[in-house]
Amino acid sequence: MKNSLFAKTFAALILSSFLILSAGTANAKRLVAAVPDWTGGEITCQVAVAILEDELGYKIERIVFPSGTGLWEAVAAGDIDFACESWPSYAEADDVMINMDLVYDGEVVKSYSGDGTVAAYTTGIIGMSDYYVPKYFADANPDFNDWSDLNSFKAQFANAETGSKGRLIACPVAGWNCHDQKRLDLLGIDFEASELGTEVAALAEAQAAYDRGEAFLLYLWEPHFFFGKNEMVGVKLPAHKDCETFTEANNWQDCGTAAWPATGWAMDYTMNYMNPAMINDPANADAKAFFEKMAFSNTDQAKMLVRVGDDGLSVEDAVAEWKASTDVWQAWLP
Amino acid sequence: MVFLQETKSPGSEVNVRRLIISGLVFLALLFSFWLVYQKDDVSTFPESVKLVEVLDIKQSLEKRKFILMPIHFGTDHFTFTAWVNQGEDYLKKHYRWITRLIASYVKAGYFMLEDFLLEAPWVFVVGLLLIPSLAYGGVKLGLLILFGFMYWGMVGLWESAMETLALMGLSVVLSVIVGVMLGILCALSDRFEKGMKPVLDTMQVMPAFVYLIPAMFFFGIGGAPAILATMIYSMPPIIRLTNLGIRQVPNETIESATAFGSTKSQILFKVQIPLALPSIMMGVNQTIMMALALVVLATFIGAQGLGSEIWIAIRKLDVGVAMEGGLCVLLMAIMFDRLGKAISSEPITLPLDSQKFYLLPQTWDIYPLARIIEKPLEYIHFIFGFVFSSIIKIFSSIIGLILSIGHKEFANTVKEFINLHYFFFSGILILIGISLYDSYIVAIGSFPEAWNFSIEEEIAAGVKSLTVNPTFISITKAIRSTVVIYLLKPLDVYLTFLPYWYTMAALIIISWISVGLRFAIISTLLLLFIGACNIWTEAMITLSSVLISVLLCFIIGVPIGILASYSKRFQSINEVILDAMQTLPYFCYLIPVLMFFGGGAFSALLATIIYSIPPIIRLTVLGLSQVSSTYSEVSTSFGGTTIQTLNKIKFPLAIPSLVMGFNQTVMMAFAMQIVTPLIGGKGLGLEVFNGLARSDTGRSLAAGIGICLLAMIIDRISLAWTKKQREALGL
Repeated sequence: MKNSLFAKTFAALILSSFLILSAGTANAKRLVAAVPDWTGGEITCQVAVAILEDELGYKIERIVFPSGTGLWEAVAAGDIDFACESWPSYAEADDVMINMDLVYDGEVVKSYSGDGTVAAYTTGIIGMSDYYVPKYFADANPDFNDWSDLNSFKAQFANAETGSKGRLIACPVAGWNCHDQKRLDLLGIDFEASELGTEVAALAEAQAAYDRGEAFLLYLWEPHFFFGKNEMVGVKLPAHKDCETFTEANNWQDCGTAAWPATGWAMDYTMNYMNPAMINDPANADAKAFFEKMAFSNTDQAKMLVRVGDDGLSVEDAVAEWKASTDVWQAWLP
Repeated sequence: MVFLQETKSPGSEVNVRRLIISGLVFLALLFSFWLVYQKDDVSTFPESVKLVEVLDIKQSLEKRKFILMPIHFGTDHFTFTAWVNQGEDYLKKHYRWITRLIASYVKAGYFMLEDFLLEAPWVFVVGLLLIPSLAYGGVKLGLLILFGFMYWGMVGLWESAMETLALMGLSVVLSVIVGVMLGILCALSDRFEKGMKPVLDTMQVMPAFVYLIPAMFFFGIGGAPAILATMIYSMPPIIRLTNLGIRQVPNETIESATAFGSTKSQILFKVQIPLALPSIMMGVNQTIMMALALVVLATFIGAQGLGSEIWIAIRKLDVGVAMEGGLCVLLMAIMFDRLGKAISSEPITLPLDSQKFYLLPQTWDIYPLARIIEKPLEYIHFIFGFVFSSIIKIFSSIIGLILSIGHKEFANTVKEFINLHYFFFSGILILIGISLYDSYIVAIGSFPEAWNFSIEEEIAAGVKSLTVNPTFISITKAIRSTVVIYLLKPLDVYLTFLPYWYTMAALIIISWISVGLRFAIISTLLLLFIGACNIWTEAMITLSSVLISVLLCFIIGVPIGILASYSKRFQSINEVILDAMQTLPYFCYLIPVLMFFGGGAFSALLATIIYSIPPIIRLTVLGLSQVSSTYSEVSTSFGGTTIQTLNKIKFPLAIPSLVMGFNQTVMMAFAMQIVTPLIGGKGLGLEVFNGLARSDTGRSLAAGIGICLLAMIIDRISLAWTKKQREALGL
């Protein structure tokens, strides 16, 4: 008696779960997108979302999601259909999970040979990372030309925690593998890299220091909304050169001062990445064609960053405004 | 003479023993300084006990594709972190369908609630909460609730607030259902209670980040995993307080019930649970508070609502908007807290003729202005009371008439029931009226957009002007360098450079003396686990920042507590600030802290202090005001000054309370260690984040467990000490 009741309940549970699940998948034109957690990425994502929704008839559910390996796994598992603007210099999962050529402007910029659980297409944005000082500091000190002069000004960059050394507001998240301290040591810059844990923390400190007119050295990337509000000057790190041995498996054996990490960052051909089963589904052929053709430009993103950062527009409004003012995106349609 | 000698000798013996003990402690300290001085690098555990392997991220990702790959004993593949990751993969592959099934039910419930709250006319939602608050808390509480709703709507966060309300509502309801059941089980079985205790401790101290991301893989994205993660965090108080409430029911009551022939289940449901209700209600209250603390964290797994509004604003360094959103959460917490307290407390019924005021304190009767303000309220109250009671009377007599056709007696009882619960029924009538009005006459819809007000610009401007104010910044810089140079750096160096065996021995001896041999063995094992997971240095950094923040909490908190215990007015202001400090999402004040003090260890320390200082203040006030006034009167009559009374009488008697506050502050400081890496904190918390960024659950879990273990050891030691103090005082 008890058993049959249990069996019945169980069967009912299973049946109703199928109902719920099938209700979720009934409409194939619904996609789940992970919105990146920095404004530039948010804009790129909103551009894709706006075109998919307005022109291709999709309904996109947007989810705020911190970037990192966890997001790649969620995309591979199909919990999220696509995510936007990944930076290869910082991503760690791309080599493992992508198995295709990354094409930018008709040219193959990188060939991946991972297990193919994630597909990727370039967004058009090319990212650059560097160390920056405020422009007022460079203007006040005509002797300051590039990174090699940092040591002679280190007293201005020091604080209670770094003591006699200067302080770099470093690449905030250890998981991004920026290797700031290693770079500083290799280049002989007597600074201490302090990792603040989040982009927000680094920016909050930098913004406050800028408002007070203090000297500070900040790791940052372009395009970024911080440059819309504040005038910054790069310290011109040596041009990027690859270093084959600099991997965690190899216990970070560096190549001296001739290559990464002593040199700067590579150009980042950023990419949108998605679940391969979703994008190769014939029903989503339109979306696939769009992602292949998308070529959003740095200048357009920078303009929108100013509209969002300075003029207080929402990301949605800024993208709608841009979309109405130009027809660049017409070329990306299938 | 004989008498004198007899009293003197045990006293001097105690003195000698004290001298020896303090001498030994002093020597041990000197020895430790010497050890630290000898070392030129941080202390590490010997390789032979390490359970951890350093994996390349790419390797580890590849490795995880081979579920349950053969484990080679004796090599460095046999590791804790690898076990966890393999176990997780195995569970994911074989049992995910079950968790997804649970999630689909939770999700369905969540969507239903959310859709209801979002689509219902806003007046209806307000009424839903306003009517019970008027019934239980009177005009005062009603005004507070109304203010809360108006604030949500007017700052333009109505929809986010509704989403958060649905999320929190469902998690609290589920927590209460599951928690009360577990609490009853705990109360019925001593063995179950014993087994549950460490689980509850872990649930409270284990950083939510550790299980948030795995929860996503098992339960999907959005509402469902957020609700389940919130449940894990917020269930302990309701379990503890249900258990406590049932166990506190006096034995005589149960015996007399048994004597009258009640069965066990009758005693449980008719005697124990009803008597435990106040305690259970307090648990519900705390559960709500803790659930609201997770609002922002839930954003990290895709839950929408106030949390994501706050997080987006913080990312843009928009202090004003973030603070506005934070105030929404704060108001939500205060509203539910006050409503819960009003429901669970006994209704205060004053004799009809002495109840003169509805809003202002009764004692203000002497002020004519107060009387002018209250006069219209009295009329309104009277009119409302008259109208409603007559409507309900008509309603009940109609129902009675209809029912009396069938059964006369039944009709009478129903009539009486309705007349007794007139507030409940009039509330339902009003809500039905609103929804009828909405669907047949004019659609009310969501909160009107035309009503808005905003304080974001004022807040942002205030923060900005302080940021660039040279005097203020020079003060903050001075504080920062003092604390960093004289406290943080020395202790960090001391604890990390001190050889691991010395620190372990010290902690083990302390736990042996204060708790007992069994606990000493347990703590040895716990400390060995920390060492074996290769997180000893991180654990010492965490310990040092917790110790310093607790020390500073003590230095700041106890004087504030003393002041508050002497001045009532100061105390009431103090209460509001403490409430705010505990319920305002900490993300809101992190940005101003960073702007004023700069990122790094000091800001992490400051955030920890803000979060964990309330218990020490509260319990100082409690301890000092509990000291019966006769003691202090005796002291004063013997010519003791206020300071002498405080020093010699009140403080010694308040020590158990103070230690309790110390204990809670330590636990909260440990819990905060997981948030501080977001603004530059180091130690185990950072290790949790590094594990998460690489999707290496094993690594984050090891660090999370490390935090729990340290917290547990210190918790047990301080609790044992409280007990001894209480016994010594004969309390």
